[in-house]
Amino acid sequence: MKLLVTGASGFLGRHIVAQAVQRGHDVRAQVRPVSNIKDLGWEDHPRVEIIRADLRSKADLDQLVQGVDAVVSNAACKAGDFYTQFAGTVITTENLLAAMANTDVKRLVAVSTFSVYGFLKMRDRELLDEESPLDTDPIDRDEYAQTKLVQEELAREFAKEHEGHVTVVRPGVIYGKDNLWTARIGMELGTDRCLVVGGRSILPITYVENCAQAIVFAAEKEQAVGQTYNIVDDNLPTHRQYLRALNQHRKPRMKSLPMPWLVMRFLAALALGVNKLFLGRRAKVPSILRPAALHARCKPSTYTNRLIKDSLGWSPHFGMEEALQRGVDETDHAALAPEPAETQAVADDTDADRETRTCA
Amino acid sequence: MNSAVIGTGEISAEHLKFLANSKSAKLVGVCDLSRAAARYAAKTFGADKAYTDYKQMLDEAKPDVVHVLTPPQTHVALATDCLDAGAHVICEKPITLGHDQFTSLWNHADSKQKHLIEDHNYRFNRPILKIEKLIDDGVLGDVSEVDIRMALAIRDGGRFADRNLPNPAHKLPAGVIHDFITHLGYLVLRFFPDPDRVSAAWTNHGGDDLFKYDDLDAILIAGDKHARIRFSCRTGPDCFALTVRGTRAEVQTDLFHPFMRLIKPRKGGEKLSPVVNQLANGLSLVGSSLSNLRNKLMQRSPYEGLHTFLKRTYDALQHGTEPPVTFDDMDRTSRLIDQMLAEGNRV
Repeated sequence: MKLLVTGASGFLGRHIVAQAVQRGHDVRAQVRPVSNIKDLGWEDHPRVEIIRADLRSKADLDQLVQGVDAVVSNAACKAGDFYTQFAGTVITTENLLAAMANTDVKRLVAVSTFSVYGFLKMRDRELLDEESPLDTDPIDRDEYAQTKLVQEELAREFAKEHEGHVTVVRPGVIYGKDNLWTARIGMELGTDRCLVVGGRSILPITYVENCAQAIVFAAEKEQAVGQTYNIVDDNLPTHRQYLRALNQHRKPRMKSLPMPWLVMRFLAALALGVNKLFLGRRAKVPSILRPAALHARCKPSTYTNRLIKDSLGWSPHFGMEEALQRGVDETDHAALAPEPAETQAVADDTDADRETRTCA
Repeated sequence: MNSAVIGTGEISAEHLKFLANSKSAKLVGVCDLSRAAARYAAKTFGADKAYTDYKQMLDEAKPDVVHVLTPPQTHVALATDCLDAGAHVICEKPITLGHDQFTSLWNHADSKQKHLIEDHNYRFNRPILKIEKLIDDGVLGDVSEVDIRMALAIRDGGRFADRNLPNPAHKLPAGVIHDFITHLGYLVLRFFPDPDRVSAAWTNHGGDDLFKYDDLDAILIAGDKHARIRFSCRTGPDCFALTVRGTRAEVQTDLFHPFMRLIKPRKGGEKLSPVVNQLANGLSLVGSSLSNLRNKLMQRSPYEGLHTFLKRTYDALQHGTEPPVTFDDMDRTSRLIDQMLAEGNRV
């Protein structure tokens, strides 16, 4: 297959490109016009074609999409104000989908997020799966959740309006090199302390290489069309267990201040009550004290990856300990060997097969 | 009045908030080239319908007032079509790219008997209204010096520093400074109405090819009166500071972090006035700090003047009175910007 991967120079995008090449695909990698491509790890690989384009502009996007078999829509913006994130996440996707419609490219894998779920309406310890309700009133959520919800809606519209063959993948917290901390644990207090909210809550993590592989599986498997898949790893740790494991690889160690979930939940509800009662709900409150945001970050829920495993035969290759080790070692695990080993497109491969294609 | 908005960028949030909460306006349409952006804005602010074609919106929704909130290069074409469709136009600054264009657009509005109003929002911020009252009450005496200084770290990040997709403002006659120069122009002219000499130094201290200029230092002289306009993106922190000096007193404020420092003759005579000024301004500063904290908590931004401007504009449109930003205000501002850019006035 020839895959177009957008946002290819980002944290997840680099690994999607690497995994796709390892699985025998040719890749067109979209990076922004002034992105540094020197250290992508696959910039000189013969199976990777790097195209510079800014998806916020429609110019040249038909050319970008023309001739690919599938598009992995991975570009998104997590920083900046609402309008910056809207442009970087929603407008980019809208333009990309328009180019796909223009060039009759039907196959889309839309990379979404757990942030689209409506955690506030879920019960504590309820199972979150692909059928769980989305957030219908995200006004108290962060810009990321608001814009990713619109982005997902665009992907579903593409399926309806253009007979698109769409798969939506919703990764949990993606971790890996330079991204080992997550605000789902709680709140950082300076450089070596953190407030751990709900230490026994399960952390829905997926290691970046595992996640990238799941996304490539979704792109190449016919049975993924029309499906939505949550992506989390096996044997998910609790907040406390993850922090303890992280501290094995981190200096200085992160000292934790425990905050029981029920106490934090009460404080957020109290803050909302005061805001409503005395301030007309107009006061800007830190996200950890806004119930909708707090529940999305720290709620004790349970998670499953059963659907993607059963449907696509994917299973996460790296466990947490090994993933953390890879997250701190000196090797660039998204880098591809200059002379790649002979690869082949694989429908159902084994762990042993995958091992032979582990990147350099 | 039936109102519509073209353009759903950052500033649209303030216009749409006003329209969503105004008893004078009914939001009948929101238009943007992006269908997703138009629909999101329409849903968030309760517009009747989202459009991607503004001509279709003008035709179907028949707005009485259109807010043109698109990049400045598009204003003339959009405003002309809105005026032709029988709508009053409220337009973001700069309304046109030069005084000739402004005159032509104004004449067109006049021929259609419709109002054309440029957003001069900071003129309606509380500190500016207070300074105007001090002048009207004779507290400052005759204004003899005005200093306006805007500092914004726009080179360090954000939409103007983005090299991937350079902001359209970089292509304006004064580059990105053109996006702010209207504010500096109308404010200085509010207190210094008739400069007879203008000289301006436009510099690109950063020296790259993205920014045309990143610094403006302009002097305005009228007889024995002086004014200075500064724009800098190399000196921090961000500020929008204004000092007005009169023959009797001096007042300072900052519109981004509002406070008011007034030095004037106090009761107690010449000897005690400095002490009383210190005490009075100290107390005023404490009060401003508390107010600013409250504003931060309650999400009130320096755009507070925009809401006052829109309220007064809609009141005027409804009652058939003169809008708060007049032809004279816009004409003189546009001319001043041209004067600052003129080759013959450059330092």
